[in-house]
Parts: sequence; structure tokens; C-alpha cells
Amino acid sequence: MSDQTVTPTVWMCDKCHKALVSQKVKVRYLEGNFEVELLKCPTCNMVFISEDLALGKILEVEKSLEDK
Amino acid sequence: MGYTTPKKPFLLPKNKGNVAIIGGGLSGSVAAVELDKKGYNVTIYEKTNRLGGCLWEYEGKGLETTILEEELLVIEKKGMSIFYNTEVTEEKLQHYIEKYDAVYLGVGSWSKAYTIHPETFQVNDSSLFIGGKLQTQNHSIIFSASSGKRAAVSIDRYITKTSMLASREREGIFETKLEYKIDTIKPFETVVKTSIFYSEDELKEEASRCLKCQCDACIKACVHMQRFNITPDRYIRSINHNERIVLGNRSANTMINSCTECGLCKEVCPIGIGMADIIHATRQSMVERGKMPLSAHDFALKDMQFSQSDAFSMVRKQPSKEQSKNLFYYPVIAFSGYARGLYKGSGKTGYLFYPGCQLSATHTDFIGEIYKHLVGVIKAKEADNDVGLYLGCCGAPADWAGRVDLMPESVEKIHKVWEEMGEPTFILACSSCASTFEKYLPMVKTISLWEVLDTYGLPTTDIKKGRRVLSIHDACATRHDAKIHESVRSIVKTLGYSIEELEYSKEKAKCCGYGGLVANANPEQAEAFATDLINASEQDILVYCAMCKDAMVKGHKRAFHILDLLYGTQDAPQKMPTLSQRQNNRKRLKHQLLKEIWNEEESTVNATYDFTLHMSDEIVTLMEKRFILLGDVEKVVDHSLTCKERFFNPETSDYLARLRVQNVTYWVKYEEHGSDITVKDVYSHRMEVVEG
Repeated sequence: MSDQTVTPTVWMCDKCHKALVSQKVKVRYLEGNFEVELLKCPTCNMVFISEDLALGKILEVEKSLEDK
Repeated sequence: MGYTTPKKPFLLPKNKGNVAIIGGGLSGSVAAVELDKKGYNVTIYEKTNRLGGCLWEYEGKGLETTILEEELLVIEKKGMSIFYNTEVTEEKLQHYIEKYDAVYLGVGSWSKAYTIHPETFQVNDSSLFIGGKLQTQNHSIIFSASSGKRAAVSIDRYITKTSMLASREREGIFETKLEYKIDTIKPFETVVKTSIFYSEDELKEEASRCLKCQCDACIKACVHMQRFNITPDRYIRSINHNERIVLGNRSANTMINSCTECGLCKEVCPIGIGMADIIHATRQSMVERGKMPLSAHDFALKDMQFSQSDAFSMVRKQPSKEQSKNLFYYPVIAFSGYARGLYKGSGKTGYLFYPGCQLSATHTDFIGEIYKHLVGVIKAKEADNDVGLYLGCCGAPADWAGRVDLMPESVEKIHKVWEEMGEPTFILACSSCASTFEKYLPMVKTISLWEVLDTYGLPTTDIKKGRRVLSIHDACATRHDAKIHESVRSIVKTLGYSIEELEYSKEKAKCCGYGGLVANANPEQAEAFATDLINASEQDILVYCAMCKDAMVKGHKRAFHILDLLYGTQDAPQKMPTLSQRQNNRKRLKHQLLKEIWNEEESTVNATYDFTLHMSDEIVTLMEKRFILLGDVEKVVDHSLTCKERFFNPETSDYLARLRVQNVTYWVKYEEHGSDITVKDVYSHRMEVVEG
């Protein structure tokens, strides 16, 4: 996955009351393991995934891994 | 006219052998070009100072000089040796036969008569081959070109020492196996020439009369093949390629999962070739090799798992006389066939009503009624045979998904029940169940609910004559079951409807798009199937499969399930339950039946939450489209409220929460007002995010 995944957001972590930061996060599906820049809470590490990302880039990668 | 500069030829080494072409006329030129292409070193001996022979007779008579010259130049440019003004005699010919690996003789006349083999154009077993006028014995341009080409095939086989005759049935004139139906085609008159030759427009018009007759019966009948613009032979090649690929994308996966496996292609094929078995075997192979896309069937298989679990699945014998004694009093016993049926209880289960998972989910409130009716009418005629009830899923989704590994469990469970119940006849309401039973449980005797109702009697309904015309959409899984077709039609007529038969009905029934789990793997393809059916019928449609109704109604076509007519009214709902409602309906059905008929109280373990979810129709539609269940949304919200694991948007005051349930992460955006949760968005992904 390319790094075009991080767009700034006003969403913040509700538990920690922290603004989200962009960091490398591990993601995996089937036999694919990647590290991608995603937004997450700097304290509790909860990762934010927007609808656009889920139904765009992530879905695309899922499909291509399924067809591998 | 159609001339384009040929691509620069890929120069093969001409080392397969040496061939002499005697006569650079049409047939000789064709033979020369063909052999050159195959990698032979070709030498042409031509009597005159140009190639083309009899083609020059047409110069200025429809063939322009420049075109002729251009075309012949293409041959000259190929780099073969051409000797012009070189006449070859019989004596020279013998010399060339010695000198070359093979000789092609394509001249207008010759001093010696040779016997030419009618298929190979070979002279005895020699290296001499004869085409052109000497062989065709006529002036036809087409025969001349054909003889050159066929002789080239023979020469190649002769030199490479392969069979001279094998697999050549489709050369020259042969009887085709093609069965092309022309009964619906209107003939066009021949286009009359306004001068000696056709003008370009006239020629195009005349040529357009050609039917381009190829067999496309299966493609005409199948929206799937149309959508992927594919013929069965190309389909099979794609599958083959998809199966063999080691590195790279398996680009045919979606196509393979977009076939409903309905078997119509085989039905309409004049020689009985069908794709269903091939595709089924391919899906099994994909699953075995771990190459089946997980997302294609995951939801359907989880839904199947639900239906096979205790949430829905249950088996009961007919309530015993002892259990039912509170019904045996006047006037109940006089008016209720059901009560009389129970009174005659024998304890031997002769029949087991198996409504299936989908009908139970869509026509939930009719199942108990049907069961009671069956007890009444069957016991009235066969006092010995009690009627039991079995809720469950036959396993059809696993079969469609190619999950051979899941079939034994489904099948063995049913088989065990059948044995324990004393081998009763299963009364099946679902055509997919019927197929599954036939395939995996051939020892179990089955009968369709429609046949039972037609034979033993219909429930009392308000029958008015001459009400309406209906078109029957037969369930594709029943295509070879004429008894079902008859029973359904008989019931519909008894109810006072007249029937307008569709072109594709009975054994030629089309699939609604649910078959083969296409609605899961490729929803757009499923929609295309439904639209095709909807467009074929002007009348309201009658179906006898729950999923067929679902497909029709989604396409905004008025459709009735046969049970709508038997138990409901003409104004049966034109809305079908959502995926979540279906699961709830199944759960509710089990609960209700146990309570009402068997007087059993289930200890329900339904999850209860401290919040109330509010969802607009748009959100409900979105959930359907994205295969997200209400239960999953509830889990996400509950988890976020309990653990405070959620994001907050200070601009809109919305919350966004996520929860991984099995292999899917669900996201829910919501607004919170006290215990009222208003859902504003739902989505999911399968990719797992490693937090921490």
C-alpha cells in the first residue's frame, strides 16, 4: 500500500482526548503483511480508518491479495 | 479497400526444408506464403513475368491494377526466391522432385495426368503435391486459394512426417455440426447490382445479409456470459489459465463466482455442453488450493452456520396425543383438521416437513400454518403417518461455494435425523434443498410441498374466479422436476388465476441471480439476472422460491410467492426482510413453533443492550449492500460504550467506533443522546490492523 492513506482529520481519541498522529502501523490480510502510515491515538494506539480508506485503498488491496 | 500495412514480420529461420512452387498463380502464391510462414525455404518458378496468374483476368473488372500490384508486392517482399519467365517441363519437374524436399504444382495445364489424393492433394506417396486448376477442375478463385492452402498443410505434414490425414475433417466442404435456429429470422432479398459490379455500399448491404451463423444459444440465454462477453470455449480457456497461474493475478476469479450454476446453458445447447459442472469443479479446486477469494462467500457461509446452529435448527415429532389432549373437545375437534390429525397420532413419523432456511426467514408466519395444515390433510388420508417438523439449512450455500469440506457435516446431520425418525419422507418447500437432497442424500425420499398440497388438498382460501393473469417463473433448481411444475400450475389455476407462460420456463427456467451465491460474490451480476427476468414478463410474476421473490421485488417487479396466494392476499407485501431480519425471523420462528405447537419454552439468550439504536432507511439499505448485520452494529456500539474505545469529532459531535468480529472489522459512526444511538454510517474491512 502506498503512503497516500493519511489525510488530516478532526477526529480525536475519545478515551485519551488526544489528537491523532500519523504513524507506521502493521496491517495484515491473508498472506500479506504491510506497514503503512495511518492515523492513531499516540497514547492508546487505537487506529483510525475512514470510510474512504476502508472502501477505497484497503478494499483494493484486499481484492488483489485475494486474487493472488 | 481493407488494406493496411502489415506488421513487420517476425523473421523465422527458414530451416524446416526446401520447397519448390511451380506456378506463381493464385494457388501457388497461397501455398508459397503459407509455407514461408511455417518456416520453409520456398522457391517459386513462374512462367510469366509476374505473380497472380488468373487474378489478372479481373484487372479493371472489379479489381484495380494498383490494388493487385500492391497485394502481389507483399508476397515478393517476403524474401522468397522467385524465378520469373521460367517455364517448367515434366522433365524439369522430375529434377525438382529430386532436388527439393517437396514440390507444389499449381499450373493451369500440364502435359502428364497425375492421380491426386482428394484430401491431401498428394501424388501417390511422393513429394509432389498438386493444387490450382489441375486439382479443382474449375475456374473458382475460392477453390483455387483453398487448394493452395490445403496443399501447404499437406506438404508441412509430409516433410515433418506427421499424419497426412488426422484432424482434417474441417477442411474444404464439410457438413457442420452447427445447429442454427432460423425459425425466427426473416429472410432478406438479394441486393441487386445497379452496374456490372457491386458498389461499396451495395456490397456492404449484401454482405450484411450474412447471419454469421455461429451457435450462441447458451449466450443468448445467459446474462452471465453476456455480461462477461464470453463464449464457453473461451470461458474454459480462461478457467484453465486461472487454475494454472503461479505468479500474478487470477483475473477470472470474479467471473467464475458470477455463474449461478443453474444449468440453463446445457439445457439449450444442441450438443449438451454446460458450464455448471465445470465451474462447480473449479470452485472446489480453488477452495482446495486456498485460492478462493475469502470475501466472495464468507457472509453466506456465516449465514448458513447460523441456520444450522441451535438458533434456528430443531427437529420435533408430531405432538403426541397425550401432549395435545386439551385440543380434543368440541367444537375444536370438529372444525380443526389439525386437532383431528393430532388425535390420530400414531407415533410413527411418516413425513418430515423441511421448510428450509430462506422460506422460514421470508414467510415466517406461514410456516406454523402450513405445518398444521399438513398434519390435518395427511393424517386424514394416511392415519399411520405422523408429520414431524425439521428446521435447518440443507447446506446448499456450502455446495455453491465449492466448500466440499463443509458438506459432510450438513449432510450427516440430516441423515442422522432421517434415520432416528424412522426414515420419513421429507416434504421440501425449497428447490435448492431439493437439489441438495438429490445430490447428497439420494437415499432420502422427498416430495415437494407443492405436490403435497396439490394432492392432499389446499388450505382454505378465499378463491375468486378470473382475478388475474400471472407469469410463472420456475425455480431453476427444479428444471428437471416436471411434477413440481405441474403441481404449482395446478394450484395457481385452482386459486383462479390464469397463466401466461414465459419463453424460458420449466426445463428452460432462468435463475433469479441468487443461485451459486452470485448475489454474494457479485451483486451487480445478480441484479442483471433479475432484470433480465423482469424484462421478460409483462404480467406480475409468481414464484415458488423465497429467493426468487426477493430478487424480483428488489427489481421493483410485483411478485408473489405461491404461499402469498395460499395464505395471504393478493396484496402480499412487495418488500422482503433484510439480512438481519431474516436471522431474527428464523430465531423467532423456532421460538414461536416450540411454544405454540410443542408447548416448550425456550430459554432465550438474546443479547440485551442499555441503548436504543435508531437507523434511517438509507442506513438499513447501506447495511444490506455492505452485508453488515444489525447484530454486528450493536456489538460495535456496545463495545464502544463500555470500553470508551471510540473517536470523537468535535465539529459534528459524532462518535466513530470499531470492533473486529471474527474476520471482519466493523465501523459505526453514531450520534449519542442519552441512551439513544442514531447510526449515521456503517462500513467494514477485512484487513486486520495491528494496534499497539
